[in-house]
Amino acid sequence: MKTLFSDLYKKANTGFWPIVIAFVFMIVGTVTLFQNPRSLGSFLVLMTTPVILYFMKMPMKIKVFIGLLIVVIILPVIGIKNIFILEVIFQMAVFAALALGLNIVIGMAGLLDLGYVAFYAVGAYAWAIFGSKQMSLLYSIPGAAPANAEFFLDARWFWLFLFLGIGLAALTGILLGLPVLRVKGDYLAIVTLGFGEVIRVLALNLDKPINLTNGPQGITPIQRPPLPPEGVLMFFRSFLEPLVGHEVSDAEFYNVMFYFLALIIIAIVIVVATRLEDSRIGRAWTAIREDETAAIAMGIPLVKMKLAAFAAGASFAGAMGALYAANRTFVSPETFSFQVSIGVLTMVILGGLGSIPGVIFGASAVTLLNIQILQNLSLYLSDLRQSDAVIPIINFAWKDLSNQLDPAKYQKLVFGIILILMMIFRPSGLIPAERRQRELGEEKE
Amino acid sequence: MALLQTNNVVKRFGGLIAVNKMTFSVDAGKIVSIIGPNGAGKTTFFNTLTGIYTPEEGQIQFKDHSLIGLRPDQVAATGIARTFQNIRLFGSMTVLENILVGMHIQLKQNAVDTIFRSKKFHEEEKDAEQRAKELMAFVGLKNVGNELARNLPYGGQRRIEIARALAATPTLLLLDEPTAGMNPNESEDAIKLFRRIRDEKGITILMIEHDMRVVMGISEHISVMDYGEKIAEGSPAEIRSNQRVIEAYLGRGAAVAHEQKA
Amino acid sequence: MKQIAANPVYKFFLFPIGQILLFALGASVVLSLATVLLAYLFKFNVTDFDLVERTMLLLPQVIINGLTIGFVYSTIALGYTMVYGVLEFINFSHSEIFMVGGIVGIQLMAYFEHIGVLATMNEYLVITLAILLALVVSGALAVTVERVAYKPLRGAPKLVPLISAIGMSFFLQDIVRLILSLTTGEFNVILPKFGTFDEFWKIAIPGMEEPLRIQTKSVLIVGVAMLMLVILNFLVNGTKVGKAIRAVAQDRPSASLMGINVNQIISITFLIGGALGGAAGVLFALKATKLDPFSGFFPGLKAFTSAVLGGIGNLTGALLGGLVLGLLESFSASYLGIFTNGAFGAEYKDIFAFAVLIIVLIFRPSGLLGQTVGQKV
Ligand SMILES: Nc1ncnc2c1ncn2[C@@H]1O[C@H](COP(=O)(O)OP(=O)(O)O)[C@@H](O)[C@H]1O
Ligand SMILES: [Mg+2]
Repeated sequence: MKTLFSDLYKKANTGFWPIVIAFVFMIVGTVTLFQNPRSLGSFLVLMTTPVILYFMKMPMKIKVFIGLLIVVIILPVIGIKNIFILEVIFQMAVFAALALGLNIVIGMAGLLDLGYVAFYAVGAYAWAIFGSKQMSLLYSIPGAAPANAEFFLDARWFWLFLFLGIGLAALTGILLGLPVLRVKGDYLAIVTLGFGEVIRVLALNLDKPINLTNGPQGITPIQRPPLPPEGVLMFFRSFLEPLVGHEVSDAEFYNVMFYFLALIIIAIVIVVATRLEDSRIGRAWTAIREDETAAIAMGIPLVKMKLAAFAAGASFAGAMGALYAANRTFVSPETFSFQVSIGVLTMVILGGLGSIPGVIFGASAVTLLNIQILQNLSLYLSDLRQSDAVIPIINFAWKDLSNQLDPAKYQKLVFGIILILMMIFRPSGLIPAERRQRELGEEKE
Repeated sequence: MALLQTNNVVKRFGGLIAVNKMTFSVDAGKIVSIIGPNGAGKTTFFNTLTGIYTPEEGQIQFKDHSLIGLRPDQVAATGIARTFQNIRLFGSMTVLENILVGMHIQLKQNAVDTIFRSKKFHEEEKDAEQRAKELMAFVGLKNVGNELARNLPYGGQRRIEIARALAATPTLLLLDEPTAGMNPNESEDAIKLFRRIRDEKGITILMIEHDMRVVMGISEHISVMDYGEKIAEGSPAEIRSNQRVIEAYLGRGAAVAHEQKA
Repeated sequence: MKQIAANPVYKFFLFPIGQILLFALGASVVLSLATVLLAYLFKFNVTDFDLVERTMLLLPQVIINGLTIGFVYSTIALGYTMVYGVLEFINFSHSEIFMVGGIVGIQLMAYFEHIGVLATMNEYLVITLAILLALVVSGALAVTVERVAYKPLRGAPKLVPLISAIGMSFFLQDIVRLILSLTTGEFNVILPKFGTFDEFWKIAIPGMEEPLRIQTKSVLIVGVAMLMLVILNFLVNGTKVGKAIRAVAQDRPSASLMGINVNQIISITFLIGGALGGAAGVLFALKATKLDPFSGFFPGLKAFTSAVLGGIGNLTGALLGGLVLGLLESFSASYLGIFTNGAFGAEYKDIFAFAVLIIVLIFRPSGLLGQTVGQKV
């Protein structure tokens, strides 16, 4: 059976077949999704295409072409037709960026950071506080905002805060790392976990003595950066509207814009991460991960390099935080719970520690699982409950199924199972990291 | 003046005095050995030299630096490189990358160079790769640059560890039992390699060694440790006939027997 | 003198109890003095009343609260520290083992209430049964968890079992939630009302207007925790198994060469640690009166902090660490608000505990009672 499959795969993976397969998946996914924008199946078919591109043999140019086609044209257009798809993709992108950042810390440098979400929170709250009316409400009681409060900054300041988010998060990483990274590696997990909680507790309670965070209610509305000028929008409308068959609203343009912003951030993260990895810095991180004693004996300053990893990882989360705050126009402490940190960890572990394609895959898969598959399963179960269906042999009526059985609420269970199973059976992840092979010009034997 | 000079170095673990009042020196350009029974404190002495342990008492002078209080990476930066008794390679990195890690101190690229792939970055990496290849050839490894270090056989791993240490272009190379686990042929090659390191690269070598053929065949000066103390030193010939050394190695009875035979 | 020391009654009973009392007293006195000193410093900050007087007045109650929660932390911390001592591994899921103990205990009481016998049973019998059940369930669960999720990973890089343990912690939280939800329809469990535990002992203190009020519960919690600690001390220091545990903790390869069954000893370590955690869960439930599947998280984090504070791997250290942390928490919860005139209140007590952890790690990385052992190179 197994050989049959691998034979088949080998045959399919030669000549022009991979290109055909990739195109088939892309076209079938796109067409069915276009007709039926809520279909999970079609979405999965379309999302399989990048996996095919990654694994199967075909010329690089074609890979890039198909990839760009999907990312730059197909997804936004479908996303305008069905906003939910774009929402899913945006979340995937946010988590992919977070996972790539965490991957530097844990995958490359081997530092188990369980409070990663704190850096995300720093970026998000930075723009939330300054990009909302919060600065005018510092001395008012939460919930009792005067109606005439003004936005503190113009919406265009967002672009600056995208960078400030990077800097602030990196600074926070260094401030936390300085005392903590000297201690034994074991403790790092707990200390960072505690730090994540500290940031959350601060967000919850800094509504007094001055109202900085508006406490548990969170901050809203937060401004979005302005859309491109009307002329540009008109240009896009002229060919988008016939395609999707309805007028494209500003809200939809906003979604597309945030989608592209997230993509740009991811692209930058990937470039920076791969370049760092294949350099003196990245090699030092890997050396530290493999054997601290040997690394320091080679002249690698441990604390400094660990701080660098912490700061680099944190900075990506900071940028994503600012973007997230603007996208949601709302932040609250509950967005930054411990569960999110573990969720991102799960993505990294599932995909493969230290493996950039793996981590992106892990982030996409887990996000999809969380907000699509579990959700759909919940809906499906609740449909069954309302029906008269009965499981045949054991004679169980779906009606009697407890309404507590709601898969969407059991993310922790899913994370837990993934983490345990991966550690036991595949600790290097589904797409394990590979070391770069170089052209060494050595004679082959 | 000696290249490395220690003075009354003491290192304790709880009640155990692992290194006791070691006064010891290595002259530039020499191959020097430390021998002694297991648990004598040789490795611990290396660890105090390289900053992994901080000695409770004593001074360590290398060139014109005092090494006391320096972190291991700072010690490495003064020009001391080492290998470990139980090989400590970066197993999941390639052989080439292991050697590149050894060049950490020399490489000058910073984060900006790295992220923007500046000309400086490319030139430096190319140069480093070239040097790494030369080092692999120097220690006698072929066609393994892209192999993961952990996949190499034992002897190969020992060589990479030496190449990695050499990559730091040290003045002083510390080798902790470099021929442990080798067969006589391999030891023979190792001796040749050590000589070439000293003769061709001008690197001073201080090594801990158990294999007497290696020690006697290559060392120009030998110190003997037992129970944390230096009990003897001298040329190979002097050490061979030293009473206390024979006692330390073979026990008292054997020493008496040896004396009678002689 | 030597004879006294060798006397088992002294060695396994008087000495540990004396030590516990000494720690409790010592930590209370030190913290009280520090607080009174702070009260003098912050006096200017508060004008409506005399800060020093108010501080003194609250002190006895604060100490009692602190010791009560401190003993719970100590009991949980022992589980962390034992496992760490033997495996050098942070057993992340210990907080859930603890939570399961508490929930199982409450469920037993709820069951008694359901069948209508709770009101007529001897209250101490109820507590004893609940604790026994929690001991068994949590101990068994801890051993199972070790077998399933940690044992296959022995010898893997350190990060691997640690991540598996984090996964186990999440898994257990939601599994308990699922089981509770499917069986009872909701996942909060509430301690039924019974007995006289909520009543207060009133002790008049000369020179004070108000009498000191100690809840029967607090006395019970402290009493049971002390009993556990004494039993544990006997197990570890007075039995063959305890000797084997210590041997494995010190040097696993040698212990194995000496014919000690290392796997078995590791299981026993998890059993003891888990059982203690379960018992602590019931004690905590008595105090908290309401648990849910996520209630283990914070006490677990605090208990781990206690273990580190005392010097991880060191049993006496865990005891001391727990007491100190419990007291610190109680002090900060009561005094932060008063000292800062309401700007910062009890909600910062968790941050306070965390700050303590960081400070300890910076200045005494091996904890209050730990000794530094350099790693072998
Ligand atoms: N980190 C350590 N902690 C405690 N004891 C140690 C440590 N490192 C070495 N020792 C002890 O110090 C003594 C000397 O060991 P070592 O230097 O390794 O000897 P050698 O290399 O000469 O065989 C031994 O008794 C060893 O057990
Ligand atoms: Mg040695």
